[in-house]
Amino acid sequence: MLEINSVSKSFGGFQALDRTDFDVKIGEIHALLGENGAGKSTLMNVACGLYAPDSGTLKVNDKLIAFNGPQDAAAEGIGMVHQHFKLVASFSVLENIMLFFNPDFSYGKSKEIVASKAKTLAKDLGFFIDLESRAGDLSIADQQKVEILKVLIAGAKIIILDEPTAVLSEDEGANLMRLIRKLAIAGTAIILVTHKIREALDHCDRITVMRSGKKVHEVLPNNVDGASLTKLIVGENIISTTQYSNNKSDAPLIQFKGITVLDERGRNSLSRASFQVFSGEIYGIAGVGGNGQNELAAVIMGLKKPIEGNIEITGIGDVTLDTAIKRRRDGISSIPVDRYLHGLAGKQSVLENYSIAAAMRGELGSWLRFNKTLAKSKVKEAMIKFDVQGVNNINQRASLLSGGNAQKLVIAREFSGNPKIVLAHSPSRGLDVRAGAAVHDRLRAARNDGAAVILISEDLDEILLMSDRIGVLNRGQIFAEFDAPATRSDIGKAMVSHA
Amino acid sequence: MLNKANENNNVPISGKASSSEKKRNLQFIPRLEVRQNSPEWLRLLIYAFSLLVGCVCAVLVMYCVGVNPTDLIQEISILLFSGTRTVGSVLAQTAPLIIAGLATAAAFRANFWNVGLEGQMIVGTIFASFIAIHDIGPASLRLFLMAFAAMLGGIIWIAPAGFLKLKLGINEVITTLLLNYVAFNLLLHLLFGAWKDPVSGFPHSAQFDLVERLPKIGWENLTYALPLAVSLVLLIWWILSFSRVGYLLSFVSSNPSMAKAVGVPVLGLSITAIIMSGAIGGLTGFAIASGLEFRMTRDFFSGFLFSGVLIAFLGRNHPIGVAVVALFMAMLVLLGQSLQVFYQVPFALIQLIQAIFIICVAASEFFLTYRMHWRN
Repeated sequence: MLEINSVSKSFGGFQALDRTDFDVKIGEIHALLGENGAGKSTLMNVACGLYAPDSGTLKVNDKLIAFNGPQDAAAEGIGMVHQHFKLVASFSVLENIMLFFNPDFSYGKSKEIVASKAKTLAKDLGFFIDLESRAGDLSIADQQKVEILKVLIAGAKIIILDEPTAVLSEDEGANLMRLIRKLAIAGTAIILVTHKIREALDHCDRITVMRSGKKVHEVLPNNVDGASLTKLIVGENIISTTQYSNNKSDAPLIQFKGITVLDERGRNSLSRASFQVFSGEIYGIAGVGGNGQNELAAVIMGLKKPIEGNIEITGIGDVTLDTAIKRRRDGISSIPVDRYLHGLAGKQSVLENYSIAAAMRGELGSWLRFNKTLAKSKVKEAMIKFDVQGVNNINQRASLLSGGNAQKLVIAREFSGNPKIVLAHSPSRGLDVRAGAAVHDRLRAARNDGAAVILISEDLDEILLMSDRIGVLNRGQIFAEFDAPATRSDIGKAMVSHA
Repeated sequence: MLNKANENNNVPISGKASSSEKKRNLQFIPRLEVRQNSPEWLRLLIYAFSLLVGCVCAVLVMYCVGVNPTDLIQEISILLFSGTRTVGSVLAQTAPLIIAGLATAAAFRANFWNVGLEGQMIVGTIFASFIAIHDIGPASLRLFLMAFAAMLGGIIWIAPAGFLKLKLGINEVITTLLLNYVAFNLLLHLLFGAWKDPVSGFPHSAQFDLVERLPKIGWENLTYALPLAVSLVLLIWWILSFSRVGYLLSFVSSNPSMAKAVGVPVLGLSITAIIMSGAIGGLTGFAIASGLEFRMTRDFFSGFLFSGVLIAFLGRNHPIGVAVVALFMAMLVLLGQSLQVFYQVPFALIQLIQAIFIICVAASEFFLTYRMHWRN
């Protein structure tokens, strides 16, 4: 169906793709695995017409093709669902689809055609989406469904999904996998770009592994297991095992007592959530997304004030209504869920992004003078200590860093003040195996140094791997608590229980 | 290589055979790619190139209305090299433009689009004139009092817009712009009423006393307005580029939600920048009234809103950039005046040329974001 032969592409001096081959057939789900920077995204951007290759050929249905842009690729039936959705939040679902596909000159006629097509398609696939609702009001999973509808309505026969499950909960992810299987059976070719090894093994027909711009392996899921696949991806063994705490304190360091928070619409997003965290332990907060995780993180960092309940830190006292600055002075630091929205300022340099925490603590000069020379030496030290790769120049923009290195930069900054309490919200989301393991090592090291680590994650594997104790957040409450090692199914039950 | 294969096999680029002909003709259209990064030298190169394109366009426009490039060069050299008198008048024009550019740039740095500069100038000048007309305070401190009053007036006029923006999220472009009209009517009310010149009866204030005028520095006709502007440039440059305040402020504009998350006092810094902008806006009025016209006139502020935005934009909100562009603008204004006299070129053309430069620089952003591939 789609065949990519010996494609090369370089940016400046960097060889992103080096004579890479790839193909996908009708009715097949083909997984594309690789670390960040292995060239997966570049390859897919070549396939969907965003980049022109330096050399090599593309064939669709045995016909040589050159794309002048994504619209040419769309005309050949290639549709891409990007990792960051490209929906206009204030438009309705229908309008968003029409932005992409407009079958008739007349707006009214076009609307009718698209609406009827969308309805039949949604029904066939088992979607329940109100075409008139605003795209911004939909959940992430529904937004993704709209993206898939978009490419299908435009007549896509080859669909590229770029890390589709990175933003979904377990259930939603499983539903998506069922959906793409349905599409494949109906005669669509599917390319699944992913970091999740289990996903590739359980749901795909063929697996291609890329490393530093080259295709290194093509395997069938039946002939390989998780460990050896990991090894193929990173080129070495990375074993992640649980390591539990051995220096947990006797008295809790921070206590949350009956925290209630309202969301923008005045509904309870946290209702009387209570838990405590000891120093020297990792407290994992599991739960399906949207059960109050974001609000809990905001409360912990002092960005949102609870309407009810108290937060107490041993040795400091009641800190419920303190501001974000005070929280940080109390020794709390945070690895936020969206590292490009709350973690880093992409337009600012690596140096500036790293130094801001120290500057807020009153280090690096005075209010009148920001000591850049001192900041420079500190950032260079930290980049080595925290193994942040890809920093050619500390004055380069932070947005140029890959996901894993951007996260390492955030961690380097957040750990620069030797925090007593660390909040980590989905810290390995969107990271590859190696970068994810590095992040986990950092959290464990912080715990072993005596910090209290609060790990909020929707990824149950991460929770089980990391936590010494686990609390399940369900509809704004800590619904159940488990001591590690806990069984997956018990936690899973507590996550979806409606009791 | 791709295209060669394409032509040999005579395969249409698009799926539809009918459109292949059309596509072939369009092959000289470059394809665009998002740049992975853009180094500093490239930025400067593209910026310089866009200014060059602007110059060429400006010369072409002038040529179209009958001013030969050689005449243009002659006029420029008269302005710059015919003696210190013309250079002095360029610098005298530059001072208020620098202050106006700084006022606008200070607010822009905090993502506050202050287009109320003229209102702030007017109210600042009214406050300063109040001190002057009523002879408040000892004569030796009069000027300082006036400057202080002007800053206060500017702050009072920007404060409501700042409050509405930060507290209620109301768009500051609307509020600051409309407050200009309120201030203008206030000015007319005073000039046609209580503050009408008692000597001539014209609608402008009485002349300021000698102690209420900025003293001359003793070179040509220049007053202390220029040293005031230059020291403001240095002060703001220090604050924005070397102090911790400026460092934190840069996060307020580049990613406020991240800044909040790491504990930066976003609200406090925004208020500081807005107050600074208003205060400098008031000073702009003071510099003109007390440094150029020696009274409050009906239209001393006219055009400064646009010039301020223009200078801040072209100067990339950097104080040094602002100073350089302000100097350039002052030259352009004086050049326009002599072209008006000697070649009957309408003043609107000078504004047209300013606009051309804005368009060129704004368009250059595109080349910073995208890279072009030419294929044939």
